[in-house]
Amino acid sequence: MRYVIIGTSAAGLTAAETVRQFDRQGELILISDEALRPYSRPMLTYLLGREAGLENIWLRPPSHFHKLNFKAMLGEPVAQVDPQAREVYLSGGRVVKYDRLLIASGAQPRMLGIPGETLAGVFTLRRLADWQKLEADLPAGATMAIVGAGPIGLKAAEALRRRGHRVILVEAEPRPLPRLLDDTAAKLLQEHLHGLGAELIVKARPAAISGHQGRVRSLALADGRELEVEGVLLAVGVRPRLEFLHGTPLAGNAPLTVNSFLQTQYPDIFAAGDCAEAPDLFSGKPVSYQIWPAAVAQGQVAGANMTGASRRYSGLLAQNSISLHGFKIVSGGILEPGPNLTEVWCRFDERQGVYRRLVFQEGCLVGVTLAGEVTDAGLYFQIMTQKLPVKDLPVDPRSPDFHPGKVWG
Amino acid sequence: MKTVIVRPERCVGCLQCRLACAVEHSESKSLVGALGESIPPKPRLRIYPGRLNYAFPNKCRHCDPAPCQQVCIAGAISREPTRGVIEIAPERCINCGMCAMACPFGVLVYAAVWQVPEKRAVALKCDQCPAREQAGRRPACVEACKVGALTYGDWQESQEEKGRALAQAVFSGLLAQPEVVPSMPETIRLWRQLA
Repeated sequence: MRYVIIGTSAAGLTAAETVRQFDRQGELILISDEALRPYSRPMLTYLLGREAGLENIWLRPPSHFHKLNFKAMLGEPVAQVDPQAREVYLSGGRVVKYDRLLIASGAQPRMLGIPGETLAGVFTLRRLADWQKLEADLPAGATMAIVGAGPIGLKAAEALRRRGHRVILVEAEPRPLPRLLDDTAAKLLQEHLHGLGAELIVKARPAAISGHQGRVRSLALADGRELEVEGVLLAVGVRPRLEFLHGTPLAGNAPLTVNSFLQTQYPDIFAAGDCAEAPDLFSGKPVSYQIWPAAVAQGQVAGANMTGASRRYSGLLAQNSISLHGFKIVSGGILEPGPNLTEVWCRFDERQGVYRRLVFQEGCLVGVTLAGEVTDAGLYFQIMTQKLPVKDLPVDPRSPDFHPGKVWG
Repeated sequence: MKTVIVRPERCVGCLQCRLACAVEHSESKSLVGALGESIPPKPRLRIYPGRLNYAFPNKCRHCDPAPCQQVCIAGAISREPTRGVIEIAPERCINCGMCAMACPFGVLVYAAVWQVPEKRAVALKCDQCPAREQAGRRPACVEACKVGALTYGDWQESQEEKGRALAQAVFSGLLAQPEVVPSMPETIRLWRQLA
């Protein structure tokens, strides 16, 4: 059996390791356009803030591929996949035949499509090369605009503040982390952002980046304001990288929709991670959240199923954890009150700066936001993923007694 | 794999394990020394009021597979190959909170440690006292526990032992002679007849 995996990040690497657990003999080929051993993309903002060194981003020791007998084809992008002939064409001209293929090619930063995005001083942060470009091109003490106050934008803001840059965050929605937080939690976060010394402009859309002699000089907003900046970091989300499916029946379907067994419409092609759209835990509709835990979990399921198991993916649950200057926020599940019998419960302890917001639907906990104190976050996610009805729990999640002792004791 | 086995029914909530744990994870490894350290050591287990408010010691179970290890974006959490214990490398931890989100038992705490004084906080949990295990000693909390709520051993053996004890209790109950109800002395019976 010959397994081919496109992508060596969270999903691809986990899948490869899972395949090896079940099939020690099969040929396993890992393809990546980056000529690097697997590294952690979320660490890039820590690398930027010099909180971590380059030696801290590698996910596995250098001998790992050899030890598990992986054949790596690194540094060569995939040009085309042919599902009928069961072949992968690399841009260098090599052809790789496969029996089972996993597409875990991930995603790339979305661009805004505004004028001036090609100027020197416009950055994204997704790959190690992006960080190298930032390190090389970023003038010391430069004023930076960060477009998008999502997890990447916020962590980048913290990193750049640590390096002594002036930072202006530009967010289109009325609050930072708009998909994860409500107004109260966002206000807490804003206070901490303020404490960091980062400026935040909300409800603002960038209109154009203008430059002088090929370098960024200012960022114009749609409402007419003009920000004098020397660099712009775009952190406005990602889009799947699936160009190599062009001309196949899988094209035009981005992210790649998969079933509960993470198979595409071809039973021998699987997809996992940021490029895939797996069934949601609650609604069952295909969704993609581009989060690390989901990529690892999907990699495990896809890897097992590639060797012939029929493992079912339990479903994708939105969840994220962000720590800004020591202030932690964990959020996940359904956060927007829906039309069908949704109850939202919040409690804000102003003195300790601790906020809890729970969303219930049809007697079950379906969404949680914790800010300031996140130690017990895993308990909430455990009862959410198991869809346990609140009335059957030993203690109500709303109670101040909701802690491991009452739940597990 | 030898682990710390918790018997919550025996715990009296004296918190001596917490003290012993903090001392063991301090720089000086002594109670007096720990009090003077600039970064106060933190215990890695907690005693909660459980159901009916009986004390419930909660600590890392060293799960396999470990959810915290799977979500760690910094690659800081790993399984020690010889001891089988899940460990967090403080020099790699970035204090992101992902592990707290994944841990179904809520065992993680975030605090500064003496190993990495430049970091504001790192994720902490039970590491089953590596220095003690290497030296063939029991973990600090087990040594401190006076009531046998924390014991050290193979959990399968411990479970079998518990099963045997239960079976023995059941059988000894079945084999016991039925209790003889004391009958009334003859003299009293006769006296009552007279009356």
